[in-house]
Amino acid sequence: MPKPGRSVRIVLFASAREAVGAAALERAVPERGVSVETLLRELAREYPPLAPILRASRFVRNGEYVVGRRGRVRRGDEFAIHPPYGGG
Amino acid sequence: MSIRLSRRALSVGAAMRELEGDELGGVVLFAGRVRPDRVASGRVQALFYEADRPLALRQLRRLAGTARGRYGARRIVLWHRLGTIPVGDVAVIVGVASAHRARAFESARYLIEELKATVPIWKTDRARPARRPRRPRSRPRGRSSG
Repeated sequence: MPKPGRSVRIVLFASAREAVGAAALERAVPERGVSVETLLRELAREYPPLAPILRASRFVRNGEYVVGRRGRVRRGDEFAIHPPYGGG
Repeated sequence: MSIRLSRRALSVGAAMRELEGDELGGVVLFAGRVRPDRVASGRVQALFYEADRPLALRQLRRLAGTARGRYGARRIVLWHRLGTIPVGDVAVIVGVASAHRARAFESARYLIEELKATVPIWKTDRARPARRPRRPRSRPRGRSSG
C-alpha cells in the first residue's frame, strides 16, 4: 500500500464501492499529481465494472465538485466518486 | 430552517411542529416512504441509504436558501433518514411554511425534486427473493415431515 503522504485517497460511494469492493483506495501519484482524466482512465482499466459508473458520476476533490476533467489531483488530496444520486 | 441527516426514524408530527407560526397560513409537508417495489432479485423489504454527509448537508442548506429567496418559503424542514429503512417507514420529509399556499407548494416541489437530483444521497435495495427455492424432495409424497 502506498504511503499516505504520497498518495491520493479515493472515496467510493454506493455502486462505485460495490464495483471496486472497497469504500476507499490509496493510490500513489507522481509529485506533480495526475489529471482527473488520467486517474479515471487508470481506475476504469483496473476495475472494469467501475467504467460505466464513472461515465455517469460526479467527482469531488477535497470537498469541492470537480468541473471538467483537466484539473489535477495531487498527493494528499481526497477524491470522491459520486455515482448518480438517488435520495428521497 | 431545519436540516437533518439522521439514522433515527423521522416524525411527521415533529416536522409539523417545526413549521408552526401565526403568520404562516400555508403549510405543505411531503413525506416519502419506502415502497415494496418488485426488483430483479425479488421484492424490496428495505432500502439502505447513505450520503456524503458534509456535501449533502451543504447542498441541503443551499437548496433551502434558494427556496427562501426564490419562492418565498418562510420555514423549511429538510430531513433525510440514513441507514436501513424498512418498507413503510419514512425516508424523507420536506416541509415548507409560507404566508400562502402557492409559495409553499412551489417551494416544496422545488426542494424534493432538487434533493433527489443534486444531493449526494444514494439508496440500495434490500430485497427478499420473490419465490422460495424449492426444497429437494427427500421423502415420499404424502408424509409429513414432523
